[in-house]
Amino acid sequence: MNRHWNSYLNRTLSRRELLRVSSAGFGSLALAGLLGEQQLRAAAVAGANPLAVKEPHFPARAKRVIFLFMHGGPSQVDTFDYKPLLIRDHGKPLPFARPKVVSGQTFNLLKSPWEFKQHGQSGMWVSSLFPQIAQRVDDICFVKSMWGSNSRHGGALLEIHTGSDTFVRPSWGSWVTYGLGSENQNMPGYVTICPTQSHGGANNFSSGFLPAPYAGTPIGSVGIKARDAKLPYITNTETPKDIQRMELDFTQELNREELRRTGHDAALEGRIESFELAFRMQAEAPDLQDVNGESEATKKLYGLDKPITEDFGRQCLMARRLSEKGVRFVQVSHTYKWDQHSDLLRDHAQNAKEVDQPIAGLLADLKARGLLKDTLVVWGGEFGRTPTAEGSDGRDHNPEAFTYFLAGGGVKPGLEWGATDDYGYYSVVNKVHFHDLHATILYLLGLDHKRLTYRYAGRDFRLTDVHGEVVNGIVA
Amino acid sequence: MWNTRSSAAVVFACLVAMPVVAGAQEDGLAFFETNIRPLFARQCQACHSTAAGMGGLRIDSRENLIKGGTRGPAVVPGKPSESLLMSAVMQSGSLKMPPSGKLKDGDIALIGRWIEMGAPWGAPAETSAKVSPAKYWAFVPPVAAKAPAVQNVSWVQSPIDAFVLSALEKKGLKPAPPADKRTLIRRATFDLTGLPPTPEELKAFLADNSPDAFAKVVDRLLASPHYGERWARHWLDVARYADSNGLDENLVYRNAWRYRDYVIGAFNKDKPYDQFVKEQLAGDLLPASDDATRFEHWTATGFLSLGAKMLAEDDPVKMQMDIVDEQIDTTSRAFMGLTFGCARCHDHKFDPIPTADYYSMAGIFLSSKSMENYNVVATWHEFVLAPEEQRRKLKEHLDLITAKGKEIGTLSDRENKTLAKEGRSKIGRYLPASLDALHYESIELRPVHTTGVAPTLQRTSESFERGNVNRKLAKGSANTPEKSKGPYFAEYDVTVPAGGRLQLDVLEQETGSGTADIHINGVMERAGQGAVTNREASPDAGGWSVAGVYELKAGTNVIRLEHKNRYPYFEAFTLTPFSGTEAPKSIQQVARQYGVNPGYLVQWVEEMRRAKGAPHSVLLPLFVYDQKKTLRGDALAGWTSAAIERFRGYEPASREDLAARYQQLFDEAGKAWDDLEAKRIAASNGETKKVERNAVKQDEGLPDPVLEAFREVSHAKAGPFRAPGDAKHYYPQSAQDEIAKLEKEKKALEDTTPDLPKAMGVQEGDKITNAKINIRGSHWTLGEEMPRRFLRVVAGENQIPVPDTQSGRLQLAEWLTRPDHPLTSRVMTNRLWRWHFGRGIVPSTDNFGRLGEMPTNQPLLDWLAVTFLDKKWSIKDMHRLIMLSSTYRMGSNYDEKAAEVDPENTLLWRANRQRLEAEEIRDAVTAVTGEIDMTPGGTLLTYKDRAYVANTSKRGANDYDNPRRAVYLPVVRSSLYEMFQAFDLPDPTTPNGDRNSTVIAPQALFMMNSTLMLKSTRNMAKKLLDRGDFDDGARIRDAWERALSRAPSAGEVDRSQTFIAQVEKAMEDKEKDPAARRLFAWESFCKALLASNEFIYLD
Repeated sequence: MNRHWNSYLNRTLSRRELLRVSSAGFGSLALAGLLGEQQLRAAAVAGANPLAVKEPHFPARAKRVIFLFMHGGPSQVDTFDYKPLLIRDHGKPLPFARPKVVSGQTFNLLKSPWEFKQHGQSGMWVSSLFPQIAQRVDDICFVKSMWGSNSRHGGALLEIHTGSDTFVRPSWGSWVTYGLGSENQNMPGYVTICPTQSHGGANNFSSGFLPAPYAGTPIGSVGIKARDAKLPYITNTETPKDIQRMELDFTQELNREELRRTGHDAALEGRIESFELAFRMQAEAPDLQDVNGESEATKKLYGLDKPITEDFGRQCLMARRLSEKGVRFVQVSHTYKWDQHSDLLRDHAQNAKEVDQPIAGLLADLKARGLLKDTLVVWGGEFGRTPTAEGSDGRDHNPEAFTYFLAGGGVKPGLEWGATDDYGYYSVVNKVHFHDLHATILYLLGLDHKRLTYRYAGRDFRLTDVHGEVVNGIVA
Repeated sequence: MWNTRSSAAVVFACLVAMPVVAGAQEDGLAFFETNIRPLFARQCQACHSTAAGMGGLRIDSRENLIKGGTRGPAVVPGKPSESLLMSAVMQSGSLKMPPSGKLKDGDIALIGRWIEMGAPWGAPAETSAKVSPAKYWAFVPPVAAKAPAVQNVSWVQSPIDAFVLSALEKKGLKPAPPADKRTLIRRATFDLTGLPPTPEELKAFLADNSPDAFAKVVDRLLASPHYGERWARHWLDVARYADSNGLDENLVYRNAWRYRDYVIGAFNKDKPYDQFVKEQLAGDLLPASDDATRFEHWTATGFLSLGAKMLAEDDPVKMQMDIVDEQIDTTSRAFMGLTFGCARCHDHKFDPIPTADYYSMAGIFLSSKSMENYNVVATWHEFVLAPEEQRRKLKEHLDLITAKGKEIGTLSDRENKTLAKEGRSKIGRYLPASLDALHYESIELRPVHTTGVAPTLQRTSESFERGNVNRKLAKGSANTPEKSKGPYFAEYDVTVPAGGRLQLDVLEQETGSGTADIHINGVMERAGQGAVTNREASPDAGGWSVAGVYELKAGTNVIRLEHKNRYPYFEAFTLTPFSGTEAPKSIQQVARQYGVNPGYLVQWVEEMRRAKGAPHSVLLPLFVYDQKKTLRGDALAGWTSAAIERFRGYEPASREDLAARYQQLFDEAGKAWDDLEAKRIAASNGETKKVERNAVKQDEGLPDPVLEAFREVSHAKAGPFRAPGDAKHYYPQSAQDEIAKLEKEKKALEDTTPDLPKAMGVQEGDKITNAKINIRGSHWTLGEEMPRRFLRVVAGENQIPVPDTQSGRLQLAEWLTRPDHPLTSRVMTNRLWRWHFGRGIVPSTDNFGRLGEMPTNQPLLDWLAVTFLDKKWSIKDMHRLIMLSSTYRMGSNYDEKAAEVDPENTLLWRANRQRLEAEEIRDAVTAVTGEIDMTPGGTLLTYKDRAYVANTSKRGANDYDNPRRAVYLPVVRSSLYEMFQAFDLPDPTTPNGDRNSTVIAPQALFMMNSTLMLKSTRNMAKKLLDRGDFDDGARIRDAWERALSRAPSAGEVDRSQTFIAQVEKAMEDKEKDPAARRLFAWESFCKALLASNEFIYLD
């Protein structure tokens, strides 16, 4: 077929859009904006408040993000990616080639042991693993065609969290906080609840070369019960509050005295302020973590009344409380539980049980409080799993295809985006790489992933490196 | 499909290259820069950037596009439909570009629009500066200019001052007055040793009125062993030093500390910098007259080894290239201040670092041995620091261990094959046995307690008659006496009035680490369940559970519960006559009934479960017959597999008959396979091809699809006849004994492996090789092979080739330290300047390229660089030179006028006020409070080499709760000490010559709440109060002098006393003991003092 080049134009860009893109205004404006941008957003110099709220590049649809991270790699074909042919051809060999690099050996096709049904007005397919989330599908946008570049936990975790599976780079939460600042000056802008210590550990929430204020602040870590998780250095069991205030007053008096001697110094002034902030943070942070004040109905909504959902439910409830109070980026981790090389039947069921009610509860609660419209909830793991069997009751890692879901924050609800092949091994239609997901999330937050840059070691870096396309199709 | 792995991070640089253009062409040029140049860079340049580009086409200028390649012009400006480029990207003709897949529609449209606009082109990126690349300032060797003339001659103590003052005077600025002596000694002491001056040192300096008093202080500090501890830390930032791998699998670099101590020693010895460089890059290749020197040289190469790397990467070639990349990046940044990393995928957009030069350097590191292997999880190379004789013995010893392992493997393989062969001959039995087992699984029993029936007999767990486990069982515990050996058991003698089938129920049985095997009267009736691997996800079972139905005899029976290596918790068990109609049998019982191996039977049950409902499965007829008792009529409707042919028209007389038929078919397939294998082996001269690790090879099966379908079941690698977990158990006794003997020997060898000191490092590789260009950074698409050589813009085109027998590291080190190398001495003197003054003359210390910052005073930098060579690369001489200058000795006095002209103080009109670095803060706290332990060297890590450090959060506090100097605290990548992190320790995964000094609330929280601060200040308060010879005033003055190196004013003493009294009073209702109250108040005072700005900012 010999199409005229203009047919590409007509299909993708309207003439007006093209003119806008190519107008003199845009080019030079973008450039002028760039230098200002670097200075504006890199204003983490001593004294200036690096977490001050910054204007987005364009009107934002979402103000904040809650990322529900399913560490280990949940299986797409057992959760949201319904594959009738996989059921039909169960036990047969995979009829096409596997990727060049695979994690281990898998054998024939393995159908999901769970039944899929359609739910909601939108008729989304959800397996029986998630009966509660299934009730909320009309608020959810499923991206069925995710893919990544690394088949190992370590590389894949770094890729979803930082955009690079090779080098240590700032975490996406750090980029978001760097781009937008924090709406709560008594709290860090980026908080991660019970994060993993393995597979890159803190590299997954570190600010990399971005200044330290943009690093994710961990509350607890894997293995610590959500009820015991705390911010570092937030409590002092030895010094009564009133005495601490007296100490602080004395210190600040010395500081102001010194400042009078030395004359204007932004760093010294900034440090004086930082102690006051720390003092306030001490009061506010434990309160935000403490869910006791929540109503019984709310606690139940998140599953705090049942032992199996209590821990993850508490994390989700904490996430809502932090988001509500203006923390820009909150990550909740269901840590390293989804790696079912064997015992898929038992363990995926158990894992799903632990998160189903809390996640559905979070979505319902955010919606009821009017928060869902500008809070973007993102769910997913570091990769998917093979539709082929590992052993008899397991699946191997599969970065070629998996499902993410997004809700609220300016994504189209009740939508299914992209598709995998007949068996769910490869993403094939409207493929979305992690870079594209990152670009899209930044876009929803009002940030252009190509303009959100930081100069380090003499060159400009961005979350998406040289990649990333905004998935416009899922933007409401 | 767009499925190339985007392995390498690519420099994203196009964005900033956009030139601002004005006038009529603005539209087009901006359009080009925004849309087209990035697209070309991303999609085309890898193949079309040199004259040798594919098809002779270069896409680097408008002219070249119009000129085109072998196929003619690529672009006809204004005419997209006549442009070859257009049809190539639309893939409408024979030429389809890019080869990796079609561009997005939007991009194709943009190219069309751009050609229509006349193909406007901006300034070519690489030549945007009009000078030739070789003339760029950093590539021209430095020449020492004469010190410039200045007005204020008396201020000039050294040429440094002349260069600085000249720049100031040009702007009409004056240098700040000299700092007072207290400020100066505090500054110099922290600067050179990272510690505060002691009150005695302070006193001595104040009392010394000789003109060279400060010079004496500098000499004293340079001679201190603590100088090396401070300045090594600077270099360790550049060497991205850490004690763990830190990327995916965080393994301990147990021996990294030897490199750290080597660096400390190098600074203390004032090892000439050129020698320092050579040792780190090629220490193993330098002459050494004795072992001590040799070991020092080996240790130095740890520089190349201790980077963060992916140790679990499925693609070994990618892993190797990533490690090489890390070495190239670190080496080029550390010594040359250049960013080579970008050139992995494309020519550097701004600096003359072509991809070709990157792969020239890659060849050097590819030819070096950094790793022992690239397995998942990979092993890095370590030198054994012991005399040759011992090293040889160690190697022999390790070879023995490997050989033993192989022997065990061979033996097990052989036995497994025999077992599987035997198993295959009994398929006729496995089939009905597994069908039975499946059936028994479906029988659900309820614990009698839930049915209301009273059990016949109940026993508590601790009531056993015989046993070797703890009498009282605990949850989550091994429940066995210390140092005892399994198997562990408890036996209960139970007496039942009547024989028959009894149901055994267990209360609160723990499942996490597996349940116990059940033996009845000496016969194993049921194997315990395996351990739950995902314990967190599977809480222990609670309440009563059924543990089977067993045939007991009237009178006394022995029930024995047994576990191999631990013993699970349970509370009690009951026995009750079985009231159901059909009692389920365990796998062991079924296996016994059919005379088959229970290990395989478990796997056959799995296979059955998998095959059930798979319409093509060869086992389907078995299920059909089991259900319908016939294969006639439409019983086989819905069959999809070829195997149907072998059952067509066949009606089994019984299940056994059908099973026998299966046996025949499996035998037939097995025989065909054996024949085929024999043929293959014969064809390959007895050698079986080694299958590449993880590369999926679709095994060629039997040509007959029917037989192949049977073979797939009986011979599948993960099929029912794979070796079960406890395969060993089924070997003949002789083989078991043999393996046990070998394992014992292996263990004995492992236990006696000599524990010799080791150091991470790099040596010459087993194979010397050149690298091929990885097109767009992907090792799947290889380009031209590049000779091993050095950056051509500096070293030129005509380089002496690296011999075929050497990696080239030694040559690289020698080239870097040539006196005429334009970068090495500049980069290092700039680093020294940065570490003294807080900002480099080139502020981007690790990037001297075009995207770095220009020198703020190039004549000064060049003079320093040349002087460094004159001083034979002596770093201590450079310290003296710098610190004795007037420039260094200025005060930090603020000057409003100067601040207006030069707000950033780039020209140095005053001293920069600097915040102490993380290690200095910690050392200052422990030094001032008297906690510090000045023991030099060694390691504080408690892990074994290569152990995982995933859980430092739990052990971290202990690891860091140590009063040794901060430089000796472990640096665990991806789990950094929170205090270090809060105070801007740079990310230890990339080289870094510059540190931030942010001001954030977590730092304040650390000062207010951390255990370290609370503990240290309490000790400081105790020490102050213990001074019987002091009154409170003297105590306050002493604290002040120690913490801030100055005496407090009378007002400050007053204010302190008032504060202490206030706290004592406020504590009255909280603390009854007056002495404790007093201590508390003094602790508060110390805390407040150490939290002050003056404590952590250096004037």
